[in-house]
Amino acid sequence: MKRTWRFWLALWAGKISAAMLRALGRRGTTFPGVVAQRLDPECIGHLSLSFSEGIVIVTGTNGKTTTANLLANILRAAGRGFAFNQAGANLVTGITGALMEYVNWRGQAQVPLALLEVDEATVPKLCEQVSPKWAIVTNFFRDQLDRYGELDTTVRLVQDALPEETMLILNADDPLVAQFGQGRRNTLYYGVDRLPESRTESRETREARFCPQCGAALSYSLFHYGQLGIYACPNCSFTRPQPQVLAVQARMEEGKLKFRVGVSAYEVGFQGYYNLYNALAALAAAIELDVRGEDLEKGLREFVPQAGRMECFPLSEGPVTLALVKNPTGFNQVLRTVLSSEGEIRLLIAINDLAADGRDISWLWDVDFECLSRGLHRDQSHGGSAEIKLIVCSGLRAEDMALRLKYAGMPEEKLLIEHSLEKAVAALQAGRQGKERVFVLPTYTMLFPLRDYLASLDLDEGGQEKPSERLRKGRASA
Amino acid sequence: MSKWPKLTIGHLYPDLLDLYGDRGNVLALEARCRWRGIETEVQRLSLGDDLDLSQIDILFLGGGSDREQSILVKDLKCREEELRRAVDEGLVVLSICGGYQLLGKYYQTGGGEKIPGLGILNLWTVAGSKRLIGNVVVEQNSPSLSEEKPQTLVGFENHSGKTYLGPDLSVLGKIQHGFGNNGEDGGEGVRYRNVFGTYLHGPLLPKNPHLADLLLQLALERRGYDHALPLLDDQLEKRAHQAILSRVLDA
Repeated sequence: MKRTWRFWLALWAGKISAAMLRALGRRGTTFPGVVAQRLDPECIGHLSLSFSEGIVIVTGTNGKTTTANLLANILRAAGRGFAFNQAGANLVTGITGALMEYVNWRGQAQVPLALLEVDEATVPKLCEQVSPKWAIVTNFFRDQLDRYGELDTTVRLVQDALPEETMLILNADDPLVAQFGQGRRNTLYYGVDRLPESRTESRETREARFCPQCGAALSYSLFHYGQLGIYACPNCSFTRPQPQVLAVQARMEEGKLKFRVGVSAYEVGFQGYYNLYNALAALAAAIELDVRGEDLEKGLREFVPQAGRMECFPLSEGPVTLALVKNPTGFNQVLRTVLSSEGEIRLLIAINDLAADGRDISWLWDVDFECLSRGLHRDQSHGGSAEIKLIVCSGLRAEDMALRLKYAGMPEEKLLIEHSLEKAVAALQAGRQGKERVFVLPTYTMLFPLRDYLASLDLDEGGQEKPSERLRKGRASA
Repeated sequence: MSKWPKLTIGHLYPDLLDLYGDRGNVLALEARCRWRGIETEVQRLSLGDDLDLSQIDILFLGGGSDREQSILVKDLKCREEELRRAVDEGLVVLSICGGYQLLGKYYQTGGGEKIPGLGILNLWTVAGSKRLIGNVVVEQNSPSLSEEKPQTLVGFENHSGKTYLGPDLSVLGKIQHGFGNNGEDGGEGVRYRNVFGTYLHGPLLPKNPHLADLLLQLALERRGYDHALPLLDDQLEKRAHQAILSRVLDA
């Protein structure tokens, strides 16, 4: 692939616009990426060839950002240099902009490796020009169907796009992902044999009920969550591949996720077993990238979760945990984590339906909110003895959320609709007792306004002024 | 003894047709019966299961992805006669999106191939070039629906098929906002006897409790019970319905 004058024009124009943005005190890789792509649509392909060790991509529905960040942390612990689209800029323009930051004016990469989080729908477009050396595929769940068409289409497009020569690092426990390895030699599987919450029956909506090879209904000996588990086709040879990177003895201890792979013990400062898969995916990829021993362990142990993924705010009334919710499986996992505690629980659920949230909110009906009211009847089916005291519903779709909870059996006197973020948080905290646990669960466009507001309350303790600017933005979108 | 008979809801292919939270419709029917002391049973019917339509009061068909829809056309075809007879003697059917299309004569793909449907209703669907996506407000085609207010239906549509009705069929309502059956003639859904077809997800029934109650009333009448349904406290339902109306129509 020969670099043309268009490439140089694109690179320089992109780098100039990035420098101008920096001079204005702004960050961002998308705009320079847009400029470069406009001038040379093949720019990203040329850029990718500058990285001598190759490109690692991370894709799938849930856990992309966390997996990429975990892998980045391990690579840093190992002292490896790499390019990274850290800002979650995971479409072609954002990736182009990110790669450009690591390439000098003469078109040479200053690091040997690039680690890219790639939106599922962007994989086909990216792979027209870029041939990743490694691709991590996390899982496939329903997410924003209105934007991407149906799940089947997404899975097929990603599968067809990944080049023959790419080494696939695959979640063995998700049949939709594991099928990517059919008939390929260069695969590495990661998986889990059993989680404390694995069950022989599933109440959740599952995506992959049918064998990707022959169409028969898959049979499961164990469900971990969603369609993840130990499965086999009763009709043909399709079965869960044996994971080479297999987690055993997974457990939560002292707010940390602990597990073993082979003889090595690992821990990562996360709540929620879904994060075990993110840790395993990062671990598998790091091993494939020749990271060894202590660096692997240290990279996971010292990881700090990103914004709004079970992030804790110590407020004067007591701690508040913030967790992003964006699709049924992710939401179910968050609810399980919420209910795994003892005592009474207060929730603020903030649902928006803007483009980044997904405009269709009917997915809320695929979330197992019934588990919240099962606790009220004390049948102990979820393990803990948590009980819901109050649920404040906010966001553009506050009424829909409240209605969903009513039909899930939540008494109406425990429900409150409050569109204003400030008032919603105030109602959530009003009369809070010492032992009660408080969670704030927003969709994407509610995450940052809420996070900023919670952070401002946190700062208030130190006597600093409230950043009301961001708050107004939050209200405008509610 | 309860003054109400037990109602049986047949959920057809819940494992195949359950995109877009459509199971919420069945939850709504169950809950609204439970709150009134009407006993319900939900039969989840899958490929190859025995289906005795004489035992079913309300049949529900949701939407599915294309792959899943093609799997079940074959299975449904052998139930065609039985279903046609039941519809003629007043079976209540709610069919959404893919389920709605399946009741028609055929679905014509982009390549011109006609995939046969059940042909229970004189309607047909043609693949469109763009997806019709967004919030929908429909003005009910009264007096075919209940007299009770609101007279609107709200929901969310997401389909690329464009559905056309034969001259003998009437639409469920007129589009006030959104695309509806085909984005061309201003019609949305179909009503034929006690069969309702629509593109509205959301799911449909929780935010349109008047339609949910109409289905229950029709099913009870078919069993010979014509007492009016006791009213429920629908403040939250109406608030959610109104929130969409205000947002979409005031915009």
